[in-house]
Amino acid sequence: MRNTLFAIIAASIAASAALGADAPPVSSAEGRDNRVPGALPAAQVPGTTAPAASRFIYATPEEEYPPYGGLPKELWPFANTEPYYRYFVTRMPFRGPGRDYPPEANLKSLRIGLVDAPKVGANWERSVRTREGIVLAMEEANLERGPGELPFDLIEHEGIAQWGGAANLAAQLADEKVLAYLGTIDGTDAHVALRVTLKTEIVMVNTSDPDQTLTETQIPWLIRVLPDHRQEEGRLAELMVRTCGCKRIAVLRAGNRFARVGAHQFEDFARRLGCPVVQELLFSPGATDIPYQIAAIKESQPDAIFFLGEPNDIGRFAKQFRQAGVKARFFGTDLLMEDGFLQNAGDAAEGTTFTFYSDPTRQDPLWTEFSARFKKRWGHEPDTYAAYAYDGAEILLHAIRISGPNRWRIRDGVYNLDYYQGVTGWMRFDGTGSNTAPVCIVRYEKGRRVFEPQVEFAPPSNAGTLTRSP
Amino acid sequence: MKNRLSPPFAIVIGLASALSHAQGMNAPAPAPGAGPLPIPVVSRFENFGEKDGIPSHKVHCVLKASDGRIWIGTPNGLCVRQDNGTFRRYGTEDGLSHLTVLSIAEDPATGDLWIATLQGLTRLSGGRFTAFTQTNSGLPNNVVYGVAVAEGTVWAATAAGTGAYDLRTRAWKPYDQTNTVMNEPWCYAVAPGKGVIYLGVWAGGVVEHDPHTGTFKAYRDPDGEFHIALATDSGPIVDVTSWVAYDQGILWQGSYFGLARYNTGSATWRTWVQDKTPLLSNFVNTVFAHGRLGWVSTDRGVSVTDGDNWVNYLVDKEGRGVVRIYRPGKPPETRMMTTALPDGFIMAVWADDHEAWFATSNGLSHGVFTVSSDSSALTSNP
Repeated sequence: MRNTLFAIIAASIAASAALGADAPPVSSAEGRDNRVPGALPAAQVPGTTAPAASRFIYATPEEEYPPYGGLPKELWPFANTEPYYRYFVTRMPFRGPGRDYPPEANLKSLRIGLVDAPKVGANWERSVRTREGIVLAMEEANLERGPGELPFDLIEHEGIAQWGGAANLAAQLADEKVLAYLGTIDGTDAHVALRVTLKTEIVMVNTSDPDQTLTETQIPWLIRVLPDHRQEEGRLAELMVRTCGCKRIAVLRAGNRFARVGAHQFEDFARRLGCPVVQELLFSPGATDIPYQIAAIKESQPDAIFFLGEPNDIGRFAKQFRQAGVKARFFGTDLLMEDGFLQNAGDAAEGTTFTFYSDPTRQDPLWTEFSARFKKRWGHEPDTYAAYAYDGAEILLHAIRISGPNRWRIRDGVYNLDYYQGVTGWMRFDGTGSNTAPVCIVRYEKGRRVFEPQVEFAPPSNAGTLTRSP
Repeated sequence: MKNRLSPPFAIVIGLASALSHAQGMNAPAPAPGAGPLPIPVVSRFENFGEKDGIPSHKVHCVLKASDGRIWIGTPNGLCVRQDNGTFRRYGTEDGLSHLTVLSIAEDPATGDLWIATLQGLTRLSGGRFTAFTQTNSGLPNNVVYGVAVAEGTVWAATAAGTGAYDLRTRAWKPYDQTNTVMNEPWCYAVAPGKGVIYLGVWAGGVVEHDPHTGTFKAYRDPDGEFHIALATDSGPIVDVTSWVAYDQGILWQGSYFGLARYNTGSATWRTWVQDKTPLLSNFVNTVFAHGRLGWVSTDRGVSVTDGDNWVNYLVDKEGRGVVRIYRPGKPPETRMMTTALPDGFIMAVWADDHEAWFATSNGLSHGVFTVSSDSSALTSNP
């Protein structure tokens, strides 16, 4: 494990008056704020890249959230039975003390932690791009710090490729006095770190783990800015069963926790829509050939195959399915957006349909201006990991700006968000603290990714004022 | 005093306490709603904080050792209460493996203390600290949430499985997803039962292990869903277990989704959630089992219950102590107290038939039980 202290020194040249536009939300004992947005104001604080306060909409006391991530009732578990008790209808408050505790003595910077992925495995590249988004947000924030204001520091740790390693890192970040932290890339690590987070009372923002169970723990110290597998797979199941009329769906997934949790969620949805899957087969991540799985799936005569695993693997197997004469339609989740799938699948990618979070071809200024700044800083376009990491960092930085160096108030500023307009679009956080903004449908056509047109989601008071370009 | 407890109620409480003490907690419970309350009632809280030498606001855990000394675990070290009432602190400079102490257990055979921290397990024996970490021992992970000692084995619940340390052979044995029924190895609590060990597993419910036969049995949430509890009294309240505790045939499961109790004799489950039952909050940090009572530490105060009767201690907005008593078939009774817990966010409890100690997010509290001559500490309804 390496411990890198990445200090970003504030240039402190931006106008300190900029923060005036970001009047802090008033935290009650429950840390909530009643701000209601009006018409769309400027997206950024004038003269800066800092998001305007109007892009942050906070929960109202005892606010109720739609059950089950806002999905249609036909996808709910036991939908025809009123359960004894529903969780996540309201958001779990943090009732402990701390909001009036004084800051640490002799603070020299405002420390934000980051747990990267381990350098082995596919998540490392995603972690690098995540880091780029976070570093850009922090550099921009430091440029805008006024005279006398403490700079933000990034305290970064490379992940540990073993069960429980993230717990050790989360404990270490507490020793290093971070005010909050971002991470992790891997869902297992995020779960492990979260439990430490509850003990150390340091809020965590996850920007890249779609495991729907991550935020379903009632620990009020975590939000996730990325839409989760529940949103993706609910949309996919409806598309496959209702729209495409698929009747025999097979599942091929990696033999790991990530794919197990995701695939079982998808299978629940398919079953609830009246179409239980005909096969669920596993492969070892990195396997080159899977003749037995392909033969078994072919034998079941599927009209659709749902894939869950690393895109390089899925691309390779998609090609092998076509070579074996399997004509079923291919479906998958966000990972199929990555080049590795297209490269390995070749022509077999044609028609493959998958869900994705935020359309990178859209033209709204927040996205295009961010893309330009990102490209100027890093020399390449941002991908979804970089974009959501930037948004997650912006949420955290805003919370620190309005709360000061107090971990409990920072938690309020993060966890009590209902809506946030980021460079990836409007986010809508549910009763678990997970972003439930609608996901896109994407299809490969002649080697190109074609995004289905959709209306941009916006908070109720702004509904209809924003649309996404087809 | 205007709000003094009405005499009949004081007598009931006093009698209940006296009977509880006289009979011990093994006495058969009276018919629901009839007879004295089978739960001792705290008449006053004595609070301790930084002024008394406790080195942080938060106290994670508390243990009264067999020699009568009070030990607490904090984010800033291990402390013991001294004869003069102040607390002496031990830190990493003394040999503690990490400052953040999450749980403490005593070896009933030797009196040694085993201290669970965010970076290793530490033994305190004869005044000397010895640290066990994942690099110098077979401890599965450095983050140790819970620890227990039973039949010559130390059980440590860690972020990567439970480790069992045989005190005779000094050998470690890991329990994780490769050799048990756990899906994932994230263990958060361990409680010795009658010849078995109960493991509280994150997303794995409760795992019962018989070390003598090497067998495992998993108790899982029957509906398997996090968003709902489909039915009541049907199994663990959820699979995300935050704590387990056991005494006299009763297993308690704490979670952030409510509370569950398993009667090992009748093999029946009961469950409780906030708003629909007297349980103060779904957010259960820990449960302490004593006799057939569960002392339930929540983020809104403490609930004490035998499953039928409940005594809840809360702190109102003005910081005053409130006790609320629920008895089957009777309306709840709410009384103000002349003292209060220092905070409603309760991390852990230690209790016996005579007293209770509360680890809170704002210091430590000593609960003195009601005796018939001390009923003035409770006042009537405000």
